[in-house]
Amino acid sequence: MSEPRADECRELLAGVSAYLDGELGTRDCERLERHSRTCRSCAAVVAGLRQAIGLCHEAGRAPLPDAVREKARASIKRLLK
Amino acid sequence: MTNPEDVNLSKDDGERTAYAGLVRGAAAGNSEAMEQLLMRAQEVAYRVSLLVCGQAEDAEDTMQEALLKTYRYVHRIKNPEAFRTWLYRTVRNACLMKRRRRVDEPGRFTSLEQGATNGSGEPVPIDVADETRRADQQMIDAVVGERLRQALDRLPRAYRIIVVLREIEGLSTREVAEIAGISEANVKTRLHRARQMLRQSLEGL
Repeated sequence: MSEPRADECRELLAGVSAYLDGELGTRDCERLERHSRTCRSCAAVVAGLRQAIGLCHEAGRAPLPDAVREKARASIKRLLK
Repeated sequence: MTNPEDVNLSKDDGERTAYAGLVRGAAAGNSEAMEQLLMRAQEVAYRVSLLVCGQAEDAEDTMQEALLKTYRYVHRIKNPEAFRTWLYRTVRNACLMKRRRRVDEPGRFTSLEQGATNGSGEPVPIDVADETRRADQQMIDAVVGERLRQALDRLPRAYRIIVVLREIEGLSTREVAEIAGISEANVKTRLHRARQMLRQSLEGL
């Protein structure tokens, strides 16, 4: 892996969010991937972003604590009785 | 490097259809659909309010508000497909109202009867605000984990709501724009910056 090439890194990382959302054009996508294979710093940024986003997704899928769900159920029961 | 498609950054748009199905069922008198819808509405309200505003007490109020509004709304909704956006907008507005009220209200205090004493029976000050904050943090930790809570805490509020709606709740850019009342381009810009901030925070934790 080579050292970061500041201008190219900056330019490519400006599109990293679109890349992660699958909204980057094929050519730009390939360019970013090619670059990241040889640039340790950009590869780390992409990996770090994937991890951060993954953590958020996990949090969104996790059920709420039982106590909160119990309160919600009790409120529904009261409302619908 | 893997294909960006693998990351699946937005929850299935089928969620909106699922909500619409429950709304139709509930409006037609299906009690199971009504219960499921009310449960979902409350869960959304609690999680979004807790993560955006950081207060468990407010989150419970918002949950209650979402319950009653959803119940009333179901019987007069014309477009069930629009329910999900309506729900999140309602929750966001409730959060904003709570925040405005909190700005005006005096700091929490305790009555003399509640005052604590030390071993010699002398009164000692209690920082109720600190105790409440700790309890709120514990609740957020139970929902998203301590690391993510700390990283979310460091985000400016205008970015936090975008992250909560887009990444945690899995709404589309268009839906987030509608709910937050900003353009899609603005959502993308904020999300891009917020993701970078989250990454940096998480790396430092």
